[in-house]
Amino acid sequence: MAFSAPARHLQRARDLADARYFEPLGVEDMARAAGLSRAHFSREFRAAFGEPPHAYLLTRRLERAAALLRGTDRSVIDVCLSVGLRSVGSFTTTFTRTYGVSPTAYRARHPPARRLALVPGCVVRAYARPQHRTFREDSPRAQA
Amino acid sequence: MLKIATTQLWVEDQEEALAFYTQKLGMEVRVDATLPELEGFRWLTVSPPGQEDVTIVLMALPGPPVMDEETREQVRTLMAKGFAGTVFLTTDDCHASYEDLKAQGVEFTEAPEERPYGIDSGFRDPSGNHLRLTELRELATT
Repeated sequence: MAFSAPARHLQRARDLADARYFEPLGVEDMARAAGLSRAHFSREFRAAFGEPPHAYLLTRRLERAAALLRGTDRSVIDVCLSVGLRSVGSFTTTFTRTYGVSPTAYRARHPPARRLALVPGCVVRAYARPQHRTFREDSPRAQA
Repeated sequence: MLKIATTQLWVEDQEEALAFYTQKLGMEVRVDATLPELEGFRWLTVSPPGQEDVTIVLMALPGPPVMDEETREQVRTLMAKGFAGTVFLTTDDCHASYEDLKAQGVEFTEAPEERPYGIDSGFRDPSGNHLRLTELRELATT
């Protein structure tokens, strides 16, 4: 069978999933971006990319969630909402099925996000320097 | 060999900047870590998908004792005027990116126009920082 590049309209649908995964996006929206009916779109997408559109969108969200679990100190709920998923319960289930460990356990397997924060010494010195306090500011009542 | 790893932008509000750089410009969060021992200092970096080795730190404008009030106001003024630094972005299709970003509500100061080096446009982030968005032309190597 001769190779043919996926049609531009299907790429557009996939680009939408890649670009707007954090919004409450669904297969309907992807179909609309491709200008096709939902059933027709799902068939064409699968034929072109080898997986159904909902699976593509979901795995994009999971990939982004995994990156946020590694790179940020946000809560699991926040990570779930940040990638456009509404239910923490089903996020945890799907994540665990995909990665073999729960989101919390996945995070624990990686160095904490703060280790990735390459805060330079100048910033540490600037931000860790305490406010100067004089005796008077410390105990105004002592003056009375 | 020297490489650019991270560059820094002052921002008025990190949450607002984060929403802008990720949701409007389509960048990804690389690191978001708050350090309690540094008075809650938040290291927040973003970069475009596929470009993980170059990041922008979105740095909150600090108050005293890191930055005195007068300096803070000066930086804030420069930022609002768009003179506190510029980020130069490139795109494959300036007109298409311009339309996409405008539809997202990005405030352009310059619509795409022909320049000797390609098609160039400019916009601002919520803090007033200036960003360029350029489709570079392949320069003749003669």
